[in-house]
Order: sequence, then structure tokens, then C-alpha cells
Amino acid sequence: MEELCARISAVIGLPLRGGLFFLVWTLLLGGAAPDKPIAGELKPVTSETDAEIGFIPPPPGSYDLQHIMTASEGRVLDADGTPRRLSEFTGGKVTLLSFIYTTCADPNGCPYAYLVFHRLQNRLEQDARLHGKVRLVSLSFDPKRDTPAMLRLYAGDSGKPGQPIEWSFLTTAGLPDLLPILDDFGQDVFLEVDPVSKAHLGTYSHVLKVFLIDARHTVREVYTTAYLQADMVYNDILTLLMEEGLK
Amino acid sequence: MTQRKTRFTLKTLTAALVATVAVGATTLPSLAQADETSCSPFTPLIKGQEDFVYVWTLGVEGVGDGSDKLVTVDVNPKSKTYGKVIASVSVGGRNEAHHIGLSDDRRYVWGGGLDSSKIFIFDVHTDPAKPKLVKTITDFVEKSGGIVGPHTFYAAPGRMIITGLSNNKDHGGVSAHVIYNNKGEYVKTVNIPTGEVGGGKGDGYNYDVAINPKKNVMISTAFTGWNNYMMDLGKMVKDPEAMKHFGNTSVMWDFKTMKPLKVFSTPGAPLEARWSWNKGDNWAVTTTALTSNIWVFKQDGKGEWQAHNVGTIGNPADIPLPVDISITGDGKGMWINTFMDGSTRYWDFSDPMKPKETYKMKVGSQVNMVSQSYDGKRVYYTTSLLGNWDKKGKDDEQFLKMYNWDGKELKLGFEIDFYKEKLGRAHHMKFQARDMSKLQPLHAQADDLDNLKLAMSEQK
Repeated sequence: MEELCARISAVIGLPLRGGLFFLVWTLLLGGAAPDKPIAGELKPVTSETDAEIGFIPPPPGSYDLQHIMTASEGRVLDADGTPRRLSEFTGGKVTLLSFIYTTCADPNGCPYAYLVFHRLQNRLEQDARLHGKVRLVSLSFDPKRDTPAMLRLYAGDSGKPGQPIEWSFLTTAGLPDLLPILDDFGQDVFLEVDPVSKAHLGTYSHVLKVFLIDARHTVREVYTTAYLQADMVYNDILTLLMEEGLK
Repeated sequence: MTQRKTRFTLKTLTAALVATVAVGATTLPSLAQADETSCSPFTPLIKGQEDFVYVWTLGVEGVGDGSDKLVTVDVNPKSKTYGKVIASVSVGGRNEAHHIGLSDDRRYVWGGGLDSSKIFIFDVHTDPAKPKLVKTITDFVEKSGGIVGPHTFYAAPGRMIITGLSNNKDHGGVSAHVIYNNKGEYVKTVNIPTGEVGGGKGDGYNYDVAINPKKNVMISTAFTGWNNYMMDLGKMVKDPEAMKHFGNTSVMWDFKTMKPLKVFSTPGAPLEARWSWNKGDNWAVTTTALTSNIWVFKQDGKGEWQAHNVGTIGNPADIPLPVDISITGDGKGMWINTFMDGSTRYWDFSDPMKPKETYKMKVGSQVNMVSQSYDGKRVYYTTSLLGNWDKKGKDDEQFLKMYNWDGKELKLGFEIDFYKEKLGRAHHMKFQARDMSKLQPLHAQADDLDNLKLAMSEQK
């Protein structure tokens, strides 16, 4: 399997870590991977992938994003284990935030968010005007297993500090810190337990939500699996930056 | 909402622990795709047996406490209280209760009053068998800039889209969509177009919305304003001036930008709007109350949205008054209720451009709403249209009836007389499950990997 994943990694041009590893693993074992190798080129969704084509996102700056709510505040730990305020990661820049757990194997959940974030990081880095103006945040809802050390492993190179488009991997010290944040954002998480022993199986059930937050801590868009496309998120990010004067 | 602050306390999280068998990474759920009639595609859907039906019920003077209420009915056949009313939450007053909608996390039901413009938010997750009223919005008109008559409650991620039916200037039909966040805070008002958009002239009227996230579009329809929907039906139909004030348009919107793309002429009050969720389908449907037509909205070869009049329900000269519709999960069929003759009609939509009525049954002296289960095997009916439009005397039956549908015939499962139970007029229904942990929104099932394929085929 590792060899196979390595070959897939070479084909799609992405490192297979964390969520992406589980994504590819799931696709392979589930028999749901596209029939042909995935090239790195942009192409419309066709019969080759058998996916619905979707839509062309409206151009950046041609629309307003709603002011939905104020982003939640709370206590978090960064990947070094340093206690921080969540607001340090939701202001000053345009922020894309999702809740994840590193062992998530739902192909439409965390691995999908990881993939979209990775694509966005690469794309945003290609435009020097955007450097330092956008951040990505992945916040774990499994504080017991997703320790700072685990997050560093999961993040790999993507989470290294000093990148033009920073990607912060955060966790919390425990449920008392985590739950108010989940509650305020409206992110549902269910622990999956053995029906007989009631023991936690180590997995969670959740509906993926990704939050786009402007530099003033205001949530301006919420994406779920059915509505999370990298092209659209990219245009939304540019739209928010254009509000701040980006030409 | 303050009650949300306790939603994920340790206590509630413990309560949320559910006995589920973990799906291993090597196991994908079986291929299945359907809807529960009219839920937003962003709301987690009940794929199996629904446990409860909530009925938003109009209070009637002299019946019980006389107030509007959310009635909970146990509909799980394995339950000891199957087919019985197990809870009722009164909101204390009559508001012309009309429609309800589930939030994007299925934890809350929002219900509106067309007369008072109040909005009631019920917690339906802490104990789904006993909903609790947790918030009442009383300043909807003020916050929205004069919009009256909150009708449809349609979940968008983190938000609720509320269609208004009227306004506080002339109580006519020119209105707007009003957006609130999930905490019950006002976000934005989006006016229905009154000018020319995409070659069609808007009339500003509003009724229902339905979103297709795969195409980033939203369809909206049009009814009438407070002046008409609060008037006695018999009086209104004899008033030529009043009868001029019905909506005659539908609008296709860009969902992302909330900008209208095109106005369609669909004369005669187009009401409920639905998308076919069948994979590969790309069409929506509505029916017109006054002209008894079925309209299908579909993209042409150039990608432009077009409206097609594809069928006639009953004899329009008799004004059968088509009201609620319920499309099957595979988009191959649709229930259409006609209020005046109390009938439900099944239309074969195998070819949406040429649908055919294949079955008809009288449900009662009057029938309005219809909701079918995810698998289409159970179909629920209620009776009330509007407080002043319902029939009078012995024809004013008020019930909830559940039928089993085998593809050929409806067979009665149970019925509840809402007058005998001292509840009121039974109107809109929504389903709920005891265990919400495995519910996923449409197009978010693990077997629907379009998003992944899209993402992986994008340019790095």
C-alpha cells in the first residue's frame, strides 16, 4: 500500500500525508478512484471523471459576501504547543478555517478539505500580491490524539512557518476549550461508539464546514462539501482582498 | 442564541454519543441518493425510517388553547406510541402559522407566522421527541426593512434564507428574501426584481426558494401579499381587483451572489419549487395555483435557463388549486395535491418534459401539504391552506394522514384528527430522527465522490 500511495503521490504531484494519505487510501480501497491517472493540468470535468461539471464561479469583486457572524474566540494550542487565542488566527488577514481530525477517513470530510486547502495554498503562493495576506487554519476537534506533535507530523511542509501563505495547524488542550468553539461556529461532531461496549471507536461523524473569515474577524462565507470548490473559494478570497484595496 | 452556548457542554456531548458502527476506511456506504421532499441540500437528510413528524399547526379559537403550536407525532412503526401525538409546543397566540424549515445542522426548526411576521425557533436535537421553543424573533419587519410574512425557511450553510410574502407599505405582494444567520441574527435583505432581468419583467412577488448547489443557482416563485392571504377566500375570488394581485413570475438566481439571472413568466401564482436531485438531472419544477400548470426550468444547449409549460393538472376551468408538491428522490415522480377536490395525484416524471398523471386518490375534503420519506414509501398529508382559505363547516377537516406507497396504490397507515385532538389546523410537516449522527447532506455521501474528482483534476 505504501508503495502504491507513493506512486499516486508522484502522479498527482502532492505529498501523501495526513488527510491526503487517508483520502487516497480510501479511494483505492473503495474502488472509487478515477479510471485514469490524474494529471496536474486543469481540465473541465468530463466523462473521464464522471463528475458533475458544476459552474463557473462569478469573477472576484463582482459580488459582495455577506457578513454572517463574528468568528468565535477561544483558547487553542499551536503546532508548537504554545497557548494562543483563536482570534490571533482569525484577524488581520483573510482566513480560511476548517475543523479536522487527523485520522479522518471520510473522503468527503477532512481529506477533501485538506486537498482543497493544499490546492489553494499552492495557487495563492503563485501571486506575490497575496503573500502575507491570506492564512489557512486547520483546527482539530480530536484534542486527545491530535497533539501538537501529531499535528506537526500531519502538516508536514505545508505547516512550516514563514511561508508566503501560512497554514496553521491548531488543537486545544481539551474539550473544555474545544466545545465552546465548536458550538459557536456551529460545527457538529458526533463521537462514534461501539454499539455494545459504548467504547469510543476513535472516529467521528461530522458534516464538513469551512469558514471564510475577513481581516476583521467576520465570517463571510461558509462552505460545506456540496459547495466547497477551490476555484470558488479562491475567487471569494480575492473578493475580500479587493474590499481591502487589492488591485 | 443563548441556548447554543450549552450545545456542546460535556453533558450534551455525552448525550450525543450514539451507538453506531464505525464505517471502516475500506467500506463505502451503498449507492443511494434521494431527498426528503423539500429539504435544503445543505441539511443532513434522513435516509431510513423517520422517527418523528413535526406539524406546524394553526391555532383555532375554541380549540384547545387556541394557539399555534408545533405538534410532534411518533411515526416509527416499532414504537409503542406509533401514530400518536407525543408532544405539542404552544407559542402562545395565533400568527397564521404556515411553513417550517430545518437548519443546516438539522438541530433547529424555524417556523413563521404570515400575519404577525414572528419567527419561532425550536430546538429539535436535545430531545427530538420533545421540541422546545428557544427563541422568538419579533422584529423581523423592522430588521428586514419592511418585509412582512416570513414564509419559506430554507437552510444555507450557516444561514437561513427566509422568503417574505409581503411588505409593510401596502401589504401587497412585492417582497424580498431575508437572510438570518444560524444564531437568529439578521444578515441581509435581497429584493425580488421588479424590473427587467434576463429578458423577463419581474413583478416583485415571492413565495418559495430551492437551491441547486451543483449549479450555484436558486429558483424562486411568487404568490400574493398580506391583503389577499389574510382575506376570506370566498370574498377574495369575487373581488376582481384582489385577483389581479397574484404573482406571475419565477426567478432564477445566482446563489453565490444572490443576484437574479433571469425572470420567467409563469402566470397564476407559481408556488412550491423543487429540484430533481437525480444525479445528472438539471431541472427544477413548480406548479401554478390559479392556472394549474406544471413548469419545468431547464438549461438549453447554450446553458441559458428556460421555462417550459409541460403539463396541466385537472381541469383548470374548475380551479382545482394545485398546492403542495413532493418530488421523489430519483426525480422520476411527483405528488401534486389539489386543494379544492382534496385529491393527491402522482405524476410520472420519467421524462420531465412530458410528465403524465398516473394515479389519483381523494385524501379528504381538502388537502394541502404532502411530504414523502427518503425512499418514497411513506407519504404524509395535512389539510390546512390558510386560516381564512380553508373550507367551512363539515368540509373543514383537519388531519394528518400517513399512507404507504407501493408504487401503485396508497394504503392508509394511520390518521390523526387535529380537531378531535384539540390541536388546530394541520399545516406544514418536517421529519426528524432520534439519531442524527450519521445523517449527511445531499451530495455529501461517501459514494458521491464528485468533489474529490473535481479537486484532484484541478490544476495544481
